[in-house]
Amino acid sequence: MLVVKNLHASVAGKEILKGIDLRVKPGEVHAIMGPNGSGKSTLASVLAGSEKFTVTQGEVTFLGRDLLTLPIEDRARMGLFLGFQYPVEIPGVTMANFMKIAVNEHRKYRGEEPLTAGEFLRLMREKSAIVELDPKLTSRAVNEGFSGGEKKKNEIFQMAMLQPKLAILDETDSGLDIDALRIVATGVTRLHTADNATVVITHYQRLLDYIVPDYVHVLYKGRIIYSGDKSLALKLEKEGYDWLINDYREEER
Amino acid sequence: MTVDGLITAAAAVPLPSDGRLTGGVYVWNGGDRELTVPEGARASLLLLHAEEHKAEIGIEIGRGAELSVVELFTSAADAVLHLTQDEASLCRMTALVLSSARVHHTIDLVQRDARFDLGGAFVLSGDDRADWKIDVNHRSSDCSSRSVVKGVASGSAYGRFGGLVYVAPDAQRTDSQQTSRNVTIGRDARVETAPQLEIYADDVKCSHGATVGQIDGEAIMYMRQRGLTETQARRLQIEGFVGDAVMHSAVESVAEPLARIVAEKLETI
Repeated sequence: MLVVKNLHASVAGKEILKGIDLRVKPGEVHAIMGPNGSGKSTLASVLAGSEKFTVTQGEVTFLGRDLLTLPIEDRARMGLFLGFQYPVEIPGVTMANFMKIAVNEHRKYRGEEPLTAGEFLRLMREKSAIVELDPKLTSRAVNEGFSGGEKKKNEIFQMAMLQPKLAILDETDSGLDIDALRIVATGVTRLHTADNATVVITHYQRLLDYIVPDYVHVLYKGRIIYSGDKSLALKLEKEGYDWLINDYREEER
Repeated sequence: MTVDGLITAAAAVPLPSDGRLTGGVYVWNGGDRELTVPEGARASLLLLHAEEHKAEIGIEIGRGAELSVVELFTSAADAVLHLTQDEASLCRMTALVLSSARVHHTIDLVQRDARFDLGGAFVLSGDDRADWKIDVNHRSSDCSSRSVVKGVASGSAYGRFGGLVYVAPDAQRTDSQQTSRNVTIGRDARVETAPQLEIYADDVKCSHGATVGQIDGEAIMYMRQRGLTETQARRLQIEGFVGDAVMHSAVESVAEPLARIVAEKLETI
Protein backbone atom coordinates (compact mmCIF):
# COMPACT_ATOMS: atom_id res chain seq x y z
CA MET A 1 0.00 0.00 0.00
CA LEU A 2 2.74 2.43 1.01
CA VAL A 3 6.33 2.02 -0.10
CA VAL A 4 8.88 4.57 1.05
CA LYS A 5 12.36 4.28 -0.42
CA ASN A 6 15.40 6.23 0.71
CA LEU A 7 13.35 9.32 1.55
CA HIS A 8 15.31 12.47 2.29
CA ALA A 9 13.64 15.74 3.24
CA SER A 10 14.81 19.06 4.54
CA VAL A 11 13.46 22.30 5.91
CA ALA A 12 15.28 25.61 5.38
CA GLY A 13 18.33 23.78 4.07
CA LYS A 14 18.56 21.47 7.08
CA GLU A 15 18.17 17.79 6.34
CA ILE A 16 15.70 16.13 8.73
CA LEU A 17 14.94 12.84 7.01
CA LYS A 18 18.10 11.08 5.90
CA GLY A 19 16.99 8.01 4.03
CA ILE A 20 13.77 6.45 5.30
CA ASP A 21 12.69 3.03 4.09
CA LEU A 22 9.25 1.80 5.06
CA ARG A 23 6.75 -0.64 3.63
CA VAL A 24 3.16 -0.81 4.86
CA LYS A 25 0.69 -3.44 3.66
CA PRO A 26 -3.10 -3.49 4.05
CA GLY A 27 -4.22 -4.76 7.45
CA GLU A 28 -0.99 -3.79 9.18
CA VAL A 29 -0.37 -1.55 12.15
CA HIS A 30 3.03 0.11 12.38
CA ALA A 31 4.34 2.10 15.29
CA ILE A 32 7.08 4.64 14.85
CA MET A 33 8.91 5.58 18.01
CA GLY A 34 12.03 7.52 18.74
CA PRO A 35 13.47 10.32 20.81
CA ASN A 36 12.40 13.96 20.36
CA GLY A 37 13.68 15.60 17.23
CA SER A 38 14.36 12.35 15.42
CA GLY A 39 12.06 13.28 12.51
CA LYS A 40 8.85 11.40 13.35
CA SER A 41 6.49 14.32 12.79
CA THR A 42 8.45 15.42 9.74
CA LEU A 43 7.93 12.00 8.19
CA ALA A 44 4.18 12.28 8.80
CA SER A 45 4.06 15.82 7.36
CA VAL A 46 6.10 14.91 4.28
CA LEU A 47 3.87 11.94 3.52
CA ALA A 48 0.79 14.15 3.90
CA GLY A 49 2.34 16.66 1.52
CA SER A 50 3.20 19.61 3.75
CA GLU A 51 4.81 22.32 1.66
CA LYS A 52 7.07 23.34 4.53
CA PHE A 53 9.45 20.52 3.68
CA THR A 54 11.42 19.80 0.52
CA VAL A 55 11.95 16.23 -0.56
CA THR A 56 15.52 16.06 -1.81
CA GLN A 57 15.83 12.36 -2.60
CA GLY A 58 13.93 9.11 -2.66
CA GLU A 59 10.48 7.97 -3.71
CA VAL A 60 7.13 7.15 -2.20
CA THR A 61 4.37 5.14 -3.82
CA PHE A 62 0.89 4.96 -2.34
CA LEU A 63 -1.59 2.51 -3.86
CA GLY A 64 0.72 2.24 -6.83
CA ARG A 65 0.92 5.99 -7.49
CA ASP A 66 3.83 8.34 -7.11
CA LEU A 67 2.70 10.11 -3.94
CA LEU A 68 5.25 12.90 -3.99
CA THR A 69 3.89 14.50 -7.16
CA LEU A 70 0.34 14.77 -5.81
CA PRO A 71 -1.08 17.84 -4.06
CA ILE A 72 -2.10 17.48 -0.40
CA GLU A 73 -5.81 17.23 -1.14
CA ASP A 74 -5.40 14.46 -3.74
CA ARG A 75 -3.35 12.40 -1.30
CA ALA A 76 -6.16 12.86 1.20
CA ARG A 77 -8.86 11.93 -1.31
CA MET A 78 -6.92 8.80 -2.30
CA GLY A 79 -7.22 7.73 1.30
CA LEU A 80 -4.25 9.09 3.19
CA PHE A 81 -5.26 10.60 6.50
CA LEU A 82 -3.04 12.50 8.90
CA GLY A 83 -4.12 12.81 12.51
CA PHE A 84 -2.47 16.07 13.56
CA GLN A 85 -0.39 16.35 16.66
CA TYR A 86 -1.73 19.87 17.06
CA PRO A 87 -5.18 20.06 15.45
CA VAL A 88 -5.78 23.55 14.06
CA GLU A 89 -8.56 25.87 15.21
CA ILE A 90 -10.66 27.42 12.46
CA PRO A 91 -12.86 30.18 13.90
CA GLY A 92 -16.30 30.64 12.37
CA VAL A 93 -16.23 27.34 10.46
CA THR A 94 -18.45 24.68 11.99
CA MET A 95 -17.30 21.07 12.19
CA ALA A 96 -20.46 19.99 10.40
CA ASN A 97 -19.94 22.35 7.48
CA PHE A 98 -16.24 21.47 7.24
CA MET A 99 -16.88 17.72 7.30
CA LYS A 100 -19.71 17.99 4.81
CA ILE A 101 -17.43 19.60 2.25
CA ALA A 102 -14.63 17.13 3.05
CA VAL A 103 -16.81 14.02 2.77
CA ASN A 104 -18.37 15.22 -0.46
CA GLU A 105 -14.98 16.07 -1.97
CA HIS A 106 -13.88 12.51 -1.21
CA ARG A 107 -17.06 11.18 -2.81
CA LYS A 108 -16.63 13.36 -5.87
CA TYR A 109 -13.08 12.05 -6.30
CA ARG A 110 -14.46 8.51 -6.32
CA GLY A 111 -17.19 9.49 -8.77
CA GLU A 112 -19.98 9.25 -6.20
CA GLU A 113 -22.95 11.54 -5.65
CA PRO A 114 -22.82 13.95 -2.71
CA LEU A 115 -24.64 12.84 0.44
CA THR A 116 -28.06 14.28 1.13
CA ALA A 117 -28.45 16.39 4.28
CA GLY A 118 -30.19 13.48 6.03
CA GLU A 119 -27.57 10.92 5.06
CA PHE A 120 -24.83 13.24 6.21
CA LEU A 121 -26.43 13.84 9.61
CA ARG A 122 -26.87 10.11 10.13
CA LEU A 123 -23.23 9.50 9.22
CA MET A 124 -22.07 12.18 11.66
CA ARG A 125 -24.16 10.75 14.47
CA GLU A 126 -22.94 7.24 13.83
CA LYS A 127 -19.27 8.20 13.61
CA SER A 128 -19.22 10.59 16.56
CA ALA A 129 -20.41 7.69 18.72
CA ILE A 130 -17.25 5.73 17.87
CA VAL A 131 -15.11 8.18 19.81
CA GLU A 132 -17.80 9.23 22.27
CA LEU A 133 -17.61 12.75 20.86
CA ASP A 134 -20.36 15.00 22.12
CA PRO A 135 -22.57 15.51 19.02
CA LYS A 136 -22.98 19.14 20.08
CA LEU A 137 -19.33 19.72 19.18
CA THR A 138 -20.15 19.27 15.52
CA SER A 139 -22.12 22.50 15.52
CA ARG A 140 -19.17 24.37 17.05
CA ALA A 141 -16.28 25.92 15.14
CA VAL A 142 -13.52 23.46 14.20
CA ASN A 143 -11.43 22.74 17.29
CA GLU A 144 -12.17 26.19 18.72
CA GLY A 145 -12.35 26.02 22.48
CA PHE A 146 -12.08 22.21 22.39
CA SER A 147 -10.16 20.63 25.26
CA GLY A 148 -6.99 18.68 24.46
CA GLY A 149 -8.91 15.42 24.69
CA GLU A 150 -11.77 16.70 22.52
CA LYS A 151 -9.33 17.80 19.84
CA LYS A 152 -7.78 14.35 19.62
CA LYS A 153 -11.17 12.63 19.68
CA ASN A 154 -12.18 15.00 16.93
CA GLU A 155 -9.24 13.83 14.82
CA ILE A 156 -10.38 10.22 15.13
CA PHE A 157 -13.96 11.30 14.45
CA GLN A 158 -12.79 12.85 11.17
CA MET A 159 -10.86 9.68 10.40
CA ALA A 160 -14.07 7.71 10.95
CA MET A 161 -15.98 10.08 8.65
CA LEU A 162 -13.43 9.83 5.83
CA GLN A 163 -12.57 6.12 6.15
CA PRO A 164 -8.97 6.37 4.95
CA LYS A 165 -6.92 3.52 3.50
CA LEU A 166 -3.89 4.66 5.44
CA ALA A 167 -4.08 6.64 8.65
CA ILE A 168 -0.95 8.25 10.04
CA LEU A 169 -1.58 9.32 13.61
CA ASP A 170 0.99 11.81 14.81
CA GLU A 171 1.23 11.60 18.59
CA THR A 172 -2.49 11.21 18.94
CA ASP A 173 -1.84 10.08 22.52
CA SER A 174 0.06 13.17 23.67
CA GLY A 175 -1.74 15.26 26.26
CA LEU A 176 -4.46 12.71 26.90
CA ASP A 177 -5.57 11.45 30.27
CA ILE A 178 -6.14 7.73 30.76
CA ASP A 179 -9.86 7.82 29.86
CA ALA A 180 -9.41 9.91 26.74
CA LEU A 181 -6.51 7.70 25.69
CA ARG A 182 -8.65 4.59 26.05
CA ILE A 183 -11.49 6.17 24.04
CA VAL A 184 -9.21 7.44 21.28
CA ALA A 185 -7.26 4.17 21.05
CA THR A 186 -10.39 2.03 21.10
CA GLY A 187 -11.81 4.21 18.35
CA VAL A 188 -8.74 3.65 16.19
CA THR A 189 -8.91 -0.11 16.81
CA ARG A 190 -12.57 -0.22 15.86
CA LEU A 191 -11.81 1.51 12.59
CA HIS A 192 -9.10 -0.97 11.72
CA THR A 193 -9.93 -3.53 9.01
CA ALA A 194 -8.03 -6.00 6.84
CA ASP A 195 -8.08 -3.46 4.00
CA ASN A 196 -6.68 -0.41 5.72
CA ALA A 197 -3.47 0.31 7.56
CA THR A 198 -2.45 2.49 10.47
CA VAL A 199 0.86 4.12 11.29
CA VAL A 200 0.99 5.45 14.83
CA ILE A 201 3.71 7.81 15.87
CA THR A 202 4.14 7.78 19.60
CA HIS A 203 6.47 8.35 22.49
CA TYR A 204 4.78 5.96 24.81
CA GLN A 205 4.19 2.27 24.99
CA ARG A 206 0.83 2.79 26.75
CA LEU A 207 -0.99 3.60 23.49
CA LEU A 208 0.28 0.32 22.09
CA ASP A 209 -1.52 -1.61 24.82
CA TYR A 210 -4.68 -0.75 22.90
CA ILE A 211 -3.42 -0.42 19.36
CA VAL A 212 -1.26 -3.53 19.04
CA PRO A 213 1.34 -2.98 16.34
CA ASP A 214 2.62 -5.61 13.94
CA TYR A 215 5.86 -3.68 13.58
CA VAL A 216 7.67 -1.18 15.74
CA HIS A 217 10.28 1.08 14.16
CA VAL A 218 12.76 3.30 15.90
CA LEU A 219 13.52 6.55 14.15
CA TYR A 220 16.71 8.31 15.11
CA LYS A 221 18.40 11.24 13.41
CA GLY A 222 16.23 10.89 10.33
CA ARG A 223 16.70 7.16 9.80
CA ILE A 224 14.92 4.03 10.91
CA ILE A 225 17.71 2.40 12.87
CA TYR A 226 15.84 -0.62 14.16
CA SER A 227 12.61 -2.50 13.52
CA GLY A 228 10.98 -5.21 15.54
CA ASP A 229 7.66 -6.56 16.71
CA LYS A 230 5.51 -5.28 19.58
CA SER A 231 7.97 -6.58 22.17
CA LEU A 232 10.39 -3.88 21.03
CA ALA A 233 8.05 -1.20 22.36
CA LEU A 234 7.99 -2.89 25.77
CA LYS A 235 11.76 -3.10 25.81
CA LEU A 236 12.07 0.56 24.86
CA GLU A 237 9.67 1.51 27.63
CA LYS A 238 11.83 -0.31 30.15
CA GLU A 239 15.30 0.45 28.87
CA GLY A 240 14.94 3.64 26.86
CA TYR A 241 16.62 4.29 23.52
CA ASP A 242 20.22 4.43 24.69
CA TRP A 243 21.13 0.82 23.96
CA LEU A 244 19.89 1.21 20.38
CA ILE A 245 21.49 4.58 19.89
CA ASN A 246 24.81 3.32 21.22
CA ASP A 247 24.70 0.32 18.91
CA TYR A 248 23.91 2.65 16.05
CA ARG A 249 26.84 4.92 16.89
CA GLU A 250 29.12 1.88 16.94
CA GLU A 251 27.90 0.95 13.50
CA GLU A 252 28.33 4.49 12.19
CA ARG A 253 31.95 4.39 13.23
CA MET B 1 -25.33 41.94 -6.83
CA THR B 2 -28.90 42.70 -5.93
CA VAL B 3 -30.21 44.04 -2.65
CA ASP B 4 -33.90 43.67 -3.49
CA GLY B 5 -33.83 40.31 -1.73
CA LEU B 6 -33.18 42.09 1.55
CA ILE B 7 -36.17 44.37 1.19
CA THR B 8 -38.43 41.45 0.34
CA ALA B 9 -37.08 39.23 3.13
CA ALA B 10 -37.63 41.94 5.71
CA ALA B 11 -40.94 43.14 4.21
CA ALA B 12 -39.42 46.60 4.55
CA VAL B 13 -41.44 49.74 3.83
CA PRO B 14 -40.23 53.17 2.64
CA LEU B 15 -39.47 55.82 5.23
CA PRO B 16 -42.44 57.88 6.40
CA SER B 17 -42.36 61.52 5.33
CA ASP B 18 -42.21 62.78 8.91
CA GLY B 19 -39.14 60.60 9.54
CA ARG B 20 -40.66 58.98 12.65
CA LEU B 21 -39.81 55.30 12.90
CA THR B 22 -42.56 53.97 15.10
CA GLY B 23 -42.36 50.24 14.37
CA GLY B 24 -41.66 47.62 11.72
CA VAL B 25 -38.84 47.56 9.18
CA TYR B 26 -38.00 50.60 7.05
CA VAL B 27 -35.71 50.92 4.09
CA TRP B 28 -33.61 53.87 3.06
CA ASN B 29 -31.78 53.93 -0.24
CA GLY B 30 -30.63 57.46 -0.82
CA GLY B 31 -30.91 61.12 0.14
CA ASP B 32 -30.14 63.13 3.26
CA ARG B 33 -32.58 62.41 6.07
CA GLU B 34 -33.27 63.23 9.71
CA LEU B 35 -35.04 60.39 11.48
CA THR B 36 -36.32 59.73 14.97
CA VAL B 37 -37.31 56.66 16.90
CA PRO B 38 -39.84 57.93 19.43
CA GLU B 39 -39.62 57.11 23.13
CA GLY B 40 -40.20 53.43 23.82
CA ALA B 41 -40.63 52.52 20.12
CA ARG B 42 -38.95 49.54 18.46
CA ALA B 43 -38.01 49.74 14.83
CA SER B 44 -35.65 48.30 12.27
CA LEU B 45 -33.97 50.06 9.41
CA LEU B 46 -32.14 48.92 6.30
CA LEU B 47 -29.64 51.40 4.92
CA LEU B 48 -28.78 50.30 1.40
CA HIS B 49 -26.02 51.97 -0.55
CA ALA B 50 -26.56 50.23 -3.86
CA GLU B 51 -25.61 53.17 -6.06
CA GLU B 52 -22.90 55.78 -6.10
CA HIS B 53 -24.13 58.56 -3.88
CA LYS B 54 -23.35 60.97 -1.11
CA ALA B 55 -25.63 61.01 1.87
CA GLU B 56 -26.02 62.21 5.43
CA ILE B 57 -28.38 60.49 7.79
CA GLY B 58 -29.14 61.60 11.32
CA ILE B 59 -31.10 59.42 13.71
CA GLU B 60 -32.28 60.25 17.21
CA ILE B 61 -33.19 57.26 19.32
CA GLY B 62 -35.53 58.28 22.10
CA ARG B 63 -35.63 57.20 25.72
CA GLY B 64 -36.00 53.44 26.08
CA ALA B 65 -36.34 53.04 22.30
CA GLU B 66 -34.69 50.32 20.28
CA LEU B 67 -33.38 50.51 16.76
CA SER B 68 -31.87 47.67 14.75
CA VAL B 69 -29.89 48.78 11.72
CA VAL B 70 -28.46 46.83 8.82
CA GLU B 71 -26.27 48.94 6.57
CA LEU B 72 -24.90 47.56 3.35
CA PHE B 73 -22.51 49.09 0.85
CA THR B 74 -22.50 47.42 -2.53
CA SER B 75 -21.60 50.50 -4.50
CA ALA B 76 -19.12 53.30 -4.01
CA ALA B 77 -20.81 55.68 -1.60
CA ASP B 78 -19.81 58.50 0.67
CA ALA B 79 -22.00 58.19 3.72
CA VAL B 80 -22.28 59.86 7.08
CA LEU B 81 -24.46 58.37 9.78
CA HIS B 82 -24.99 60.23 13.03
CA LEU B 83 -26.77 58.45 15.87
CA THR B 84 -27.85 60.21 19.02
CA GLN B 85 -29.02 57.90 21.76
CA ASP B 86 -31.17 58.95 24.70
CA GLU B 87 -31.44 57.29 28.11
CA ALA B 88 -31.66 53.49 28.15
CA SER B 89 -31.96 53.33 24.39
CA LEU B 90 -30.47 50.49 22.43
CA CYS B 91 -29.03 50.42 18.94
CA ARG B 92 -27.94 47.15 17.40
CA MET B 93 -26.19 47.49 14.09
CA THR B 94 -24.76 45.27 11.39
CA ALA B 95 -22.70 47.05 8.76
CA LEU B 96 -21.11 45.48 5.70
CA VAL B 97 -18.88 47.29 3.27
CA LEU B 98 -18.50 45.23 0.10
CA SER B 99 -17.26 47.93 -2.26
CA SER B 100 -15.23 51.10 -2.34
CA ALA B 101 -16.73 53.52 0.14
CA ARG B 102 -16.18 56.35 2.55
CA VAL B 103 -18.08 55.68 5.72
CA HIS B 104 -18.29 57.80 8.82
CA HIS B 105 -20.33 56.65 11.79
CA THR B 106 -20.72 58.92 14.78
CA ILE B 107 -22.53 57.64 17.82
CA ASP B 108 -23.38 60.00 20.65
CA LEU B 109 -24.52 58.33 23.84
CA VAL B 110 -25.96 61.43 25.46
CA GLN B 111 -27.99 60.04 28.36
CA ARG B 112 -27.28 57.31 30.86
CA ASP B 113 -27.71 53.58 30.23
CA ALA B 114 -27.68 53.87 26.44
CA ARG B 115 -26.24 50.90 24.62
CA PHE B 116 -24.68 50.64 21.16
CA ASP B 117 -23.65 47.35 19.62
CA LEU B 118 -22.05 47.06 16.19
CA GLY B 119 -20.87 44.01 14.27
CA GLY B 120 -19.34 44.90 10.96
CA ALA B 121 -17.09 43.75 8.19
CA PHE B 122 -15.50 45.02 5.04
CA VAL B 123 -14.61 42.68 2.22
CA LEU B 124 -12.56 44.33 -0.51
CA SER B 125 -11.16 42.92 -3.72
CA GLY B 126 -9.71 44.18 -7.01
CA ASP B 127 -8.86 47.83 -6.57
CA ASP B 128 -11.56 48.63 -3.99
CA ARG B 129 -10.74 51.47 -1.61
CA ALA B 130 -12.63 51.81 1.64
CA ASP B 131 -12.22 54.20 4.52
CA TRP B 132 -14.36 53.58 7.57
CA LYS B 133 -14.43 55.77 10.64
CA ILE B 134 -16.40 55.02 13.75
CA ASP B 135 -16.53 57.57 16.55
CA VAL B 136 -18.30 56.47 19.69
CA ASN B 137 -18.78 59.28 22.19
CA HIS B 138 -19.72 58.36 25.72
CA ARG B 139 -21.15 61.68 26.91
CA SER B 140 -23.08 60.35 29.89
CA SER B 141 -22.54 57.78 32.63
CA ASP B 142 -23.39 54.06 32.61
CA CYS B 143 -23.49 53.66 28.85
CA SER B 144 -21.97 50.75 27.00
CA SER B 145 -20.69 50.32 23.48
CA ARG B 146 -19.21 47.47 21.56
CA SER B 147 -17.91 47.48 18.01
CA VAL B 148 -16.32 44.52 16.33
CA VAL B 149 -15.21 45.10 12.77
CA LYS B 150 -13.55 42.46 10.60
CA GLY B 151 -11.69 43.42 7.45
CA VAL B 152 -10.57 41.41 4.45
CA ALA B 153 -8.60 42.87 1.55
CA SER B 154 -7.36 41.02 -1.50
CA GLY B 155 -5.99 41.95 -4.93
CA SER B 156 -4.70 45.51 -4.72
CA ALA B 157 -7.50 46.63 -2.42
CA TYR B 158 -6.94 49.02 0.44
CA GLY B 159 -9.01 49.25 3.59
CA ARG B 160 -8.67 51.73 6.39
CA PHE B 161 -10.40 51.53 9.72
CA GLY B 162 -10.32 54.32 12.25
CA GLY B 163 -12.13 53.85 15.49
CA LEU B 164 -12.31 56.38 18.27
CA VAL B 165 -13.87 55.88 21.65
CA TYR B 166 -14.25 59.11 23.58
CA VAL B 167 -15.26 59.07 27.24
CA ALA B 168 -16.32 62.45 28.67
CA PRO B 169 -15.18 63.51 32.18
CA ASP B 170 -18.50 62.69 33.83
CA ALA B 171 -19.19 59.50 31.84
CA GLN B 172 -18.37 57.23 34.77
CA ARG B 173 -18.92 53.48 34.61
CA THR B 174 -18.57 53.49 30.86
CA ASP B 175 -18.16 50.03 29.41
CA SER B 176 -16.66 50.06 25.97
CA GLN B 177 -15.08 47.52 23.70
CA GLN B 178 -13.63 48.07 20.27
CA THR B 179 -12.07 45.41 18.10
CA SER B 180 -10.64 45.58 14.61
CA ARG B 181 -9.40 42.30 13.10
CA ASN B 182 -8.09 42.19 9.58
CA VAL B 183 -6.70 39.78 7.04
CA THR B 184 -4.87 40.65 3.86
CA ILE B 185 -4.65 38.19 1.00
CA GLY B 186 -1.77 38.47 -1.41
CA ARG B 187 1.14 40.87 -1.47
CA ASP B 188 -0.59 43.94 -2.86
CA ALA B 189 -3.57 44.17 -0.54
CA ARG B 190 -3.34 46.59 2.38
CA VAL B 191 -5.25 47.26 5.56
CA GLU B 192 -4.53 49.98 8.05
CA THR B 193 -6.27 50.13 11.36
CA ALA B 194 -6.06 52.89 13.92
CA PRO B 195 -8.11 52.37 17.06
CA GLN B 196 -7.99 55.20 19.55
CA LEU B 197 -9.17 55.79 23.07
CA GLU B 198 -9.67 59.18 24.62
CA ILE B 199 -10.71 58.81 28.23
CA TYR B 200 -11.40 61.63 30.67
CA ALA B 201 -13.31 59.70 33.35
CA ASP B 202 -11.63 57.45 35.89
CA ASP B 203 -14.15 54.70 36.58
CA VAL B 204 -14.36 53.08 33.16
CA LYS B 205 -13.88 49.74 31.50
CA CYS B 206 -12.49 50.18 28.03
CA SER B 207 -10.77 47.64 25.87
CA HIS B 208 -9.57 47.82 22.35
CA GLY B 209 -7.60 45.60 20.06
CA ALA B 210 -6.48 45.66 16.47
CA THR B 211 -4.69 43.13 14.32
CA VAL B 212 -3.73 42.77 10.69
CA GLY B 213 -2.64 39.32 9.62
CA GLN B 214 -2.45 36.89 6.77
CA ILE B 215 -4.43 33.79 6.04
CA ASP B 216 -3.54 31.04 8.47
CA GLY B 217 -1.36 28.62 6.48
CA GLU B 218 -1.67 25.88 9.09
CA ALA B 219 -5.44 25.96 8.81
CA ILE B 220 -5.25 25.78 5.01
CA MET B 221 -2.95 22.74 5.27
CA TYR B 222 -5.33 21.16 7.78
CA MET B 223 -8.36 21.61 5.53
CA ARG B 224 -6.51 20.38 2.43
CA GLN B 225 -5.46 17.29 4.36
CA ARG B 226 -9.15 16.59 4.75
CA GLY B 227 -9.67 16.82 1.00
CA LEU B 228 -10.58 20.48 0.39
CA THR B 229 -8.87 22.33 -2.43
CA GLU B 230 -6.77 25.32 -1.54
CA THR B 231 -9.45 27.62 -2.94
CA GLN B 232 -12.19 25.95 -0.91
CA ALA B 233 -10.06 26.09 2.21
CA ARG B 234 -9.28 29.78 1.77
CA ARG B 235 -12.88 30.68 1.11
CA LEU B 236 -14.12 28.69 4.07
CA GLN B 237 -11.60 30.34 6.33
CA ILE B 238 -12.50 33.84 5.16
CA GLU B 239 -16.21 33.05 5.38
CA GLY B 240 -15.66 31.91 8.94
CA PHE B 241 -13.67 35.03 9.68
CA VAL B 242 -16.31 37.50 8.54
CA GLY B 243 -19.15 35.14 9.44
CA ASP B 244 -19.88 36.44 12.94
CA ALA B 245 -21.22 39.73 11.71
CA VAL B 246 -23.50 38.09 9.17
CA MET B 247 -24.67 35.24 11.36
CA HIS B 248 -25.80 37.64 14.05
CA SER B 249 -27.47 40.17 11.81
CA ALA B 250 -29.21 42.95 13.74
CA VAL B 251 -32.28 42.40 11.58
CA GLU B 252 -32.73 38.67 11.70
CA SER B 253 -34.98 38.34 8.67
CA VAL B 254 -32.22 39.55 6.34
CA ALA B 255 -29.46 37.29 7.71
CA GLU B 256 -29.84 34.79 4.89
CA PRO B 257 -29.90 37.14 1.88
CA LEU B 258 -27.09 39.09 3.54
CA ALA B 259 -24.98 35.93 3.82
CA ARG B 260 -25.63 35.24 0.13
CA ILE B 261 -24.50 38.72 -0.89
CA VAL B 262 -21.35 38.35 1.22
CA ALA B 263 -20.68 34.91 -0.29
CA GLU B 264 -21.01 36.45 -3.76
CA LYS B 265 -18.46 39.09 -2.86
CA LEU B 266 -16.15 36.44 -1.42
CA GLU B 267 -16.13 34.76 -4.83
CA THR B 268 -14.16 37.74 -6.08
CA ILE B 269 -11.31 37.54 -3.60
